[in-house]
Amino acid sequence: MEHFYTSIAYRLTRFFVSGLLLTSAVTAAGQTVAEALQADPNRAAGNFYALPVGKMPKDTPAPEGKKAFYINHYGCPTSYYRESSELYEESYAVFAKADSLGKLTKLGQDVKRRLELVWRDAQGRTGELTSKGALQSRELTRQLVLRFPDIFTPDGYCSSRSIVQNNCLMTLLESTVQLSSMVKPMQINFMSSHREDRFMDPHDKRLEELRWDSLTQARYNRFMSLNSGNSRLMETLFNDQNYLIQAIDPESLSRQLFVLAGSIQHTDLSGYVRLYDLFTPDEIRSHWKKLNAKHYIQNGACTLNGGTQPFVQRSTLRNMIHMADSMLNRETPVMHLRFTRDDVVMALACLMELDNCGLQTDNLDALDDLGWVNYRIAPLGGSVMMVHYRSEPGDPDALVKVLLNGQEAHLPIETDCAPYYHWNDVKRYYLRKLYRYENIRLNEETKEE
Amino acid sequence: MMSRHPIFQLSVKVIVTLFTLHVSFYTAFAQSVRDLIIQKPTYASCNYDVYPDSVPNNLTPAPKGKKPFYISHYGRHGSRYISSRSGFDTPFKMMAHADSVNELTVIGERVFDEMKLIMDDTEDRWGELTRYGNEQHRGIARRMVERFPEVFDGSARVSCISTIVPRCIESMGAAMVQMKQMNPKLRVTMEASQRNQWYMNHQDNKLRKGYMTPEAQKAYNAYISTRLGNSRLMELIFKNPDIVEEIVDEEDFNYYLMKMGLFQQNTHLRHHTYLQDIFLPDELYQMWQIDNALWYIQHGACKLNGGKQPTSQIPLLRQLIADADSCICLEKPGAQLRFGHETVLLPLVCLIGINGYDLVTDNLDELEAKGWWCSSVFPMGANLQFIFYRSSPKDKDILVKVLLNEQEAAIPIPTDCAPYYHWADFRKYCQEKLK
Repeated sequence: MEHFYTSIAYRLTRFFVSGLLLTSAVTAAGQTVAEALQADPNRAAGNFYALPVGKMPKDTPAPEGKKAFYINHYGCPTSYYRESSELYEESYAVFAKADSLGKLTKLGQDVKRRLELVWRDAQGRTGELTSKGALQSRELTRQLVLRFPDIFTPDGYCSSRSIVQNNCLMTLLESTVQLSSMVKPMQINFMSSHREDRFMDPHDKRLEELRWDSLTQARYNRFMSLNSGNSRLMETLFNDQNYLIQAIDPESLSRQLFVLAGSIQHTDLSGYVRLYDLFTPDEIRSHWKKLNAKHYIQNGACTLNGGTQPFVQRSTLRNMIHMADSMLNRETPVMHLRFTRDDVVMALACLMELDNCGLQTDNLDALDDLGWVNYRIAPLGGSVMMVHYRSEPGDPDALVKVLLNGQEAHLPIETDCAPYYHWNDVKRYYLRKLYRYENIRLNEETKEE
Repeated sequence: MMSRHPIFQLSVKVIVTLFTLHVSFYTAFAQSVRDLIIQKPTYASCNYDVYPDSVPNNLTPAPKGKKPFYISHYGRHGSRYISSRSGFDTPFKMMAHADSVNELTVIGERVFDEMKLIMDDTEDRWGELTRYGNEQHRGIARRMVERFPEVFDGSARVSCISTIVPRCIESMGAAMVQMKQMNPKLRVTMEASQRNQWYMNHQDNKLRKGYMTPEAQKAYNAYISTRLGNSRLMELIFKNPDIVEEIVDEEDFNYYLMKMGLFQQNTHLRHHTYLQDIFLPDELYQMWQIDNALWYIQHGACKLNGGKQPTSQIPLLRQLIADADSCICLEKPGAQLRFGHETVLLPLVCLIGINGYDLVTDNLDELEAKGWWCSSVFPMGANLQFIFYRSSPKDKDILVKVLLNEQEAAIPIPTDCAPYYHWADFRKYCQEKLK
């Protein structure tokens, strides 16, 4: 493992990350995370934030003579109901019981009413795409077609794949139906199969074991306790301290309310029912920090657990590289749209070190200052997309541009035409990174034998 | 199946004038099941049968002035891979065992190679829609738009509901991709929700568990007893059939191997017909008889278990009527398409009594003669379309035509304009079924 940390890849990463640090604490819009959460608390939902689709991202013109010919896209599902029906039922049940015993404040009673609406809305739909999610998927695809007219042509070929998960499959269908209304005729092929799991939803037992090793868990628990303080909220909802102590788990209830608060944005209740108003800006930020830290540990290059979690996605990245290579000589344009879990997209963005995603640190408290922010990496409707450019089939100097959630992303690789990168450089950098890690694994496994 | 069509057309006319006569009267003129199987061996595999690539375009023109304005549909998903491993594992394990003791003949070895190919191809795809299944739904959607352009013109609404099973969701997507290519302005909505399962995929546990009553079991056992087994196949595949007896159950082996062979017509291995070709038409025909009888007991109005099995689809029929009631109030309702399963479609067809599938009998030997042929109802991609007609939104005399697998079908109620029925009559008839 030590080899890895001293590797060129690591030093390069450090170099670019440190270069980005100066600007990382603020977004392009000039907002800090705290300001951004205040402006739109829905962002606090992290990976459950709905990527806004209102404004189509702008593209830097490609270097002269280069035209897009291949897109490889890995997208998260668009807005959907939370998978767990218990989340909706349990939180409501806590309030219903307390109400029956007269233990709710006036605000508490109002929250009970709101929770009932949220629960009834989600009943029989948990895990399913919402109507907003359907529109979001269509709009994202519409923008894609408008942005890359060279790809979406009648001689183009679009192959969409989804993991076998209904919200991903429905996101795919909405996207495909949108596409088929815009490009005619279009060769479109789609499927949802476990066959593709090896690169669309890969698993790595060893990395999964490392993910929450005891040190990491201890550090995270400590971080959790430092960022927990739910007594104010509980006292606004319940009128009896004794009841609070005996019957309520403040940490769990507070978390459930926070999660539900972030889920409403995806449904038709959005604009009518709110839960974020129960929390102070500081509380929202604390909850978000805990969630963000968890995502970082699970998907980012967090040094607490070895900094290797993003390598779960190595087969995804390798597949992307191989697919791109195989397209270089093809005469007609191709579009590969893949829809998978947000964790996959998040870890992929980290593996590719897009913008600040490659951050390596053990400082969970500084993630937002260092620019590792979950809702900017893999929100619902988010994606990592490689857009390939060339002047003609077989062009030895093909270029690639990577879009993170539709925005041109920075790669840890030198280039003379950013945000376009020379494909050969990109390929070399990523393949070396993958080989290096795979060698370490091979050595470890050989030693164990 | 489609070759049955001309006669079927004739039969529709017969039923118009003599609708009280039983359907069996005219199916006697049709091709025999055995002939159908010779032409299309997959007909023998019942619910694994494959939807035709094209259908004859011979629809009866609507009565003067009447135009289609609304379509209500329930369709089965298209061709899929087999749902679970167990169906293939049964013969595969027997073959592997026989192979390990060097008991396979040269033909047996070739059969085993084909089986390995099929197993590899199906791995990680159990129950998934095949490419072919996707194409079937595109074809059905294309023909629907071509045949009833009035329903799909301009910014017509097409609302789709699927069960939550991925192969049904994908079938829905295939249909919508096709329709959007034909008319990009269509207002399409798609939904695959637990919320609609109560009627989209309703299973009545009591009916489901209780279908094989002792009487039914007795009759079924008697019916199949002469149709099981295949000593010719055993001789063909195994060097010493009497030795492999201990590891190969002849009846199961014959049944499942045949299914495995025929199933490939649903996948991209459909040109590999080696497995299918080792069976003789009569062997396939016997398997069809066995399965057809079982499907009848499970979903038909079989007297042996009380004849109530088709009532499992009362929730769906009720929903179809409610949807139609509200849609015909609209000026331009468009189409409502539903994507589900054969275990819904077959009992629904039996419940409504389409084409005589409401046959009530306790004699399994009668099924074939009286035209109760399950394969004609529910191949992969099977569908039931209710096409509604009127002259204008103010027209109170709404007509409905039923298409079973895109062919005009008969309902046992009187009409003066078959295959069109007066919606008021049809609705009243269905309401009776709901009681």
